[in-house]
Amino acid sequence: MTNTHLKLDGLAKSYGNFIAVEEFSLDICEGEFIAIMGPSGCGKTTSLRMLAGLETADRGEITLAGKRIDQLPVWERETPMVWQSLALFPFMTVRENVEFGLQMRGVARAERRRRADDWLERLGISTYADRNVARLSGGQRQRVALARSLVLEPKVLLLDEPLSALDAHMAIKMQGELKKLQRELGITFVYVTHSHSEAFSLADRVVIMNLGKVEQIGSPQDIFLRPRSKFVAQFVGGISLLEGKVLGREDSKRFLNTRDGKVRLSHSCGLAEGAAAVLAVRADRISVTITPGWGENEIACTLVSEEFAGAVVNLHLETASGHSLVAQLQQRDLEQLDASIGARVYASWHSDDGFLLDRARQSLPGTKVRAA
Amino acid sequence: MNSPALPARTSGRRLPFLFRRTWPALWILPMPVWLLLFFAVPLGLLVAISFWSVVNYRLTPDATLAAWRHVLGLDFLWASFWRSYGLSMASAVVISLLAFPASYAMAFVAAPRQRLILLGLAIAPFFTSYLVRIYSWQVFLTEGGVISSIVQAFGGKGDSLLNTYFALFLGHATLALPVVLILQTIALANVDRTGISAAANLGARPRAILFRVILPAARPGLTLGLLFAFLLSYAEFVSASYLGGGAFQTLPILVTDLVRAGQQWPRAAVVSLLMIASLLVTAFVTVLWAYREKG
Repeated sequence: MTNTHLKLDGLAKSYGNFIAVEEFSLDICEGEFIAIMGPSGCGKTTSLRMLAGLETADRGEITLAGKRIDQLPVWERETPMVWQSLALFPFMTVRENVEFGLQMRGVARAERRRRADDWLERLGISTYADRNVARLSGGQRQRVALARSLVLEPKVLLLDEPLSALDAHMAIKMQGELKKLQRELGITFVYVTHSHSEAFSLADRVVIMNLGKVEQIGSPQDIFLRPRSKFVAQFVGGISLLEGKVLGREDSKRFLNTRDGKVRLSHSCGLAEGAAAVLAVRADRISVTITPGWGENEIACTLVSEEFAGAVVNLHLETASGHSLVAQLQQRDLEQLDASIGARVYASWHSDDGFLLDRARQSLPGTKVRAA
Repeated sequence: MNSPALPARTSGRRLPFLFRRTWPALWILPMPVWLLLFFAVPLGLLVAISFWSVVNYRLTPDATLAAWRHVLGLDFLWASFWRSYGLSMASAVVISLLAFPASYAMAFVAAPRQRLILLGLAIAPFFTSYLVRIYSWQVFLTEGGVISSIVQAFGGKGDSLLNTYFALFLGHATLALPVVLILQTIALANVDRTGISAAANLGARPRAILFRVILPAARPGLTLGLLFAFLLSYAEFVSASYLGGGAFQTLPILVTDLVRAGQQWPRAAVVSLLMIASLLVTAFVTVLWAYREKG
């Protein structure tokens, strides 16, 4: 996973006045699992369609294994796709669906059938080979869609929200199977999704997009622990943000002056005095107490609501200035806290758990983000 | 819906029990009534008349197989039958093929708004009577008519084009082409676009996409278009009579001939029943094929 295999360089696409993708560059290694995530309309599906050749990029280049592919017509690109709607051919049997791509490549009948049957077997759907695809369950149809693409032995597989048509239980089961399949085959997956859990549990690297721009590219841990922009922090969720101005040094310590008081910043803060900054603190790093004086940074809040989330509980707090904070507690800590809704509580955290967001968009390793 | 638990006096507009129970039936009723009055009853009458006899040019209730024996014994009956069937089927196929490029363009090239305008234009001929449209073809096709004058101006012979299969076909197309255009366009417009993209993504070139994906997906609608063109052409009398003339004795012409020559209503009924039977068989087989599924 060292060499660049699939390279997207400055892809851009507009429809009239609407900018679908402003600037998208990404180097993908062989066998890498890339998830592209973002809210609807962020340009993630358009990017995938440009890769497949279903949309022509206004600008930019795509190279696969050193060869430019962005000028090839759809049918000459070796980038099969698994569709959100699956797009199986209802007038063909399961086997005919799987054989279709091979037939288009002129593979002889016997060979076609052998390879299709191999994949039906591998995905556990050979019993349905002669059935109409309309008579299969959601999970079975999903497997047919996968088999139809994988039978072509592609170097890159594109997936457009492939699990969104499945019920939650089936989707989680397929997630595991997809990851296993990708590891075994060693092929590159480019996976578009709006689901955090899919992106974070499957991908080697996650690309977060918003309004046609790449907000951040990084490993799931990177993005989860160190979101670089307010958008990513909010999109990932479970992060409290405090805005303010950086104050001058006091005893080699740096502070941020927020509307709810002064909070200490971690030691490494490169910002000059007076600079506007956004401090982010993960919900699980915030402690909540009913008496003050427990932590380094402390803000008095009102407990607004509790949100039960299994083993943990999210407490939604509001500061005196009306700012929202979120703290994540274990169930038993909540029992000890003994605070009811509307009670006055104190949120505190260690300075090292807070980090400043990069307000200015910077170049990231392997990306070039230019202003359009 | 009125809940049974709700006391009657709280819902001011609660309808009488009988009316509530019959309300859905009232909406469905016109259809079976229509079919009964205008299809089942005339069909029954037709069957009955085929067993009657004609005495002194007057239709007389009877229970005789005379009309059936006579008609089935006619040496030109089967020739007429196959001519009618073959010509109508040929017209249906040619009309479908002619309509297809236009339907394809309306479904895949035209923007939704343009498609509406084009479909509107396709329906426009229905604003004039069919008979008027057939008469205007006569003006074009007859000797000394529009086409023959043009041909003569270029030194050709300029014979009348009437009483040819070409003229008969023009009549069939005038009747059926707009219907086929509409059915085909709807069928093609409803083909799953993602399926088309998926086929291209799997390596299908435009030709393969047309033959392997679009045509199979649109098959029910395209087949129905063909079937309608056939039904309309098969039962067609006006152009068979005015454009085809005496050159083609089709079954509808035979029916009128039998009635005109000696008020042979029972014999005409037998021919009509043969037509209906062959239509039903054709329609049944075609629809079965159109909606056939794999696996």
